[in-house]
Amino acid sequence: MQQINHIIQTQGSEIVQAIGQHIAISLVSLLIAALIAIPLAILLMNHRRAANVALQITSILQTIPSLALLGILIPLVGIGTVPSIIALVIYAVMPIFQNTYSGLTTIDPNLEEAAEAFGLSRQKKLVRVELPLALPMIISGIRIALVMIIGTATLAALIGAGGLGTYILLGIETNNNALLIIGAVLSAALALLFGAAIDWLGKLSFRRVGIVLGVVVVLIGGVAGYRHLVQPQATITVAGKLGSEPEILINMYKDLIEQDHPNIKVTTKPNFGATTFLFKALQSGSIDIYPEFTGTVLESLVKHESSASRNPQVTYQRAQKALKAQYQMAYLKPMKYQNGYAIAITQAFATKYHLKKISDLQRVAGKVHAGFDPDFYQQSAGYPGLSKAYGFKFGSVKTMEPSIRYQAIHHGKINLVDGYTTDPEVQEYHLVVLKDDQKFFPPYQGAPLMTEKLLTEHPELRTTLNKLAGRVSTTDMRKMNYLVTVKHHKAATVAREYLQKQGLLKTGN
Amino acid sequence: MIEFKQVTKRYDDQVAIADLNLTIPTGDFFVLVGPSGSGKTTTLKMINRLIEPTSGDILVDGKNLRDTDLREMRLNMGYVLQNIALFPNLNIQENIAIQPESLGWPRKQRIDRARELLAQVDLDPDQYATRMPSELSGGEQQRVGIVRALATKPNVVLMDEPFSALDPISRKQLQDLVLRLHHELQMTFVFVTHDMPEALRLGQEIAIMRNGHLQQIGTGTDIVQHPANDFVRGFFQNQSAPRAVTIQNLLNAGYGTPTQAPATLMATDSLGTLAQALRQQAAVVVTTAQGPRQVTTPDLLDYLAVKEGD
Repeated sequence: MQQINHIIQTQGSEIVQAIGQHIAISLVSLLIAALIAIPLAILLMNHRRAANVALQITSILQTIPSLALLGILIPLVGIGTVPSIIALVIYAVMPIFQNTYSGLTTIDPNLEEAAEAFGLSRQKKLVRVELPLALPMIISGIRIALVMIIGTATLAALIGAGGLGTYILLGIETNNNALLIIGAVLSAALALLFGAAIDWLGKLSFRRVGIVLGVVVVLIGGVAGYRHLVQPQATITVAGKLGSEPEILINMYKDLIEQDHPNIKVTTKPNFGATTFLFKALQSGSIDIYPEFTGTVLESLVKHESSASRNPQVTYQRAQKALKAQYQMAYLKPMKYQNGYAIAITQAFATKYHLKKISDLQRVAGKVHAGFDPDFYQQSAGYPGLSKAYGFKFGSVKTMEPSIRYQAIHHGKINLVDGYTTDPEVQEYHLVVLKDDQKFFPPYQGAPLMTEKLLTEHPELRTTLNKLAGRVSTTDMRKMNYLVTVKHHKAATVAREYLQKQGLLKTGN
Repeated sequence: MIEFKQVTKRYDDQVAIADLNLTIPTGDFFVLVGPSGSGKTTTLKMINRLIEPTSGDILVDGKNLRDTDLREMRLNMGYVLQNIALFPNLNIQENIAIQPESLGWPRKQRIDRARELLAQVDLDPDQYATRMPSELSGGEQQRVGIVRALATKPNVVLMDEPFSALDPISRKQLQDLVLRLHHELQMTFVFVTHDMPEALRLGQEIAIMRNGHLQQIGTGTDIVQHPANDFVRGFFQNQSAPRAVTIQNLLNAGYGTPTQAPATLMATDSLGTLAQALRQQAAVVVTTAQGPRQVTTPDLLDYLAVKEGD
């Protein structure tokens, strides 16, 4: 609870912005869905067979899993707000269409006959009789659609459209329940609030509903238009994966680029999504640069044959060559820090037995009570490989969820955990990371990834971004992560302070 | 004047109207009467083309309906439905003024017309004009239904069993009302009913239909005094004076047992006579064509109980 309060106090404006994005995406989607579904239902109300076909199609569309739908849309329309809205519209069309259609076709046949016999024109009949009588059904369809949209819109964060989903994904990614709760509770609250608003709308007369909808359209249009006019035309977009570390890095890129090249405007898109989304976004030109790990490139992004190397330089060179050959992408030089698997122990345990390297554990293996992430416990790149490479077996090993693992070692239930080298918890709980002296863990070094085309247009970027090459130690990165994740400092501030301290950025900038 | 010339309506193989020839003079109060399935409502709905004839011609004031503009024709023809069918989303004055609205009358004129009509059927405009239909009783709603059909001062008003859903008192009041309106407005009223007394009460001219065929057409007096055939006679008698139930009806229903005892009553005697006789003795013997039959009090009570349930 305290943590939630703290986050709300320090990141209030970002949360409000996320709520705004969430509402905007949801309402725009709803509006488009209604503008498709209602006229379609009106068009098909006297053509039962065609209406059934339309209903079948919309039902089938609704069964497509949302993640799959987003995946299908990315190659077609890229990432960001547009595919999110398209996906949400596709989901929302069904309930609105179905309710409007059944509302219009279940009108008392006597009233239909009366309207017919009085010689009302098709339009008059629709506006004066059919739509008003179907209105309660239409409104309930819109309500169903909106509640669904607000829930599903949390997935928009996956492809960089922002919204409250950002907090949910960040919460999952970083084991931060407070963020998760903020995202989930706020989106649930939004759904309830808008559900109530629609119920209120349903009690108004037909004409007033029209007026309210009109005002909403004008407001959304106005805000969107204003933003469009006010936003400066950015020439370079730097994006980052979920989490504090990429956000710190992209702010460093931004500061460096804007210092060296005042004519270039840089926009940052933090928490833009998972690896494949970012990579596809880079391919499609939706973003220009993002920091990627050498290990991840070889594991997930490129095809390569040779077995994994333990040598960071070899890993980087292979990744860089493969990216150039297979995707015409430029992969600039990596920073110093490694964000791979690590073995961490308590300060007390380290001091007592003078433990500094992983090989030191051979002496005390029987006294080790380890808590491992289930993946790490099973993968050959994890504990099984580790124990083989170093030739030891720990006294006891338990598997536990990542966040519980750190809690357990903090409370003395265990004395050794696996983790990532730059996890802020290492600093938070004063843990000691043992040196991988046999170089068992594959290297993961961060470096800026971009298309060769961008580098051809702006060759000066190479020099600027290479200023970070070989800089930023694991300890530096861990400290910065700690400031952002645990202390809730702004990533931009943390990044700027680091660059200034390193003399890479002029102070007073 | 409305003329039906050799009008036939077929649904698949079913003949709903067979070769109908009919003339309804201008200003007439014309009643179509017949049992259900007789084709009376079909005939009515062909006048405003809710139903199109399969063959034949219908002329209104000499103009063939096929050649008239459908909307324009309907906008100038009143229509009262059996189920009243006021639009539940519109208030009373909006309901009344729906046709004027469609014709593009200015708002002020529409409201004035609605209020004038409300006053004409004894509904206080100040009290009723802005109420919703659901706030009115069935009788009040059908008054609105009737004046809605009069709003554009049409030449022809069609009424499809408008009072069949009402209680006897409201029905009597509304019959008086339409008679008065017809007298005042001099429009052609075409009125459908299955109720012969209602037809006799309202119609200047009555057409009796059965199974899609016109049986007789004439004034009420004509039909009562000179029924064209047994059906007309039967239909009229059946409805106007319910035939007295006799002992024969009871025997036909399977009650009574054969006996050799001497009979005291005839099968054509009324149930009242039977009841009186049964007060004196436990069983009564009745002369029938099939020989004497003995009838007991339980027979009478059972028969009445079953009959009540019909």
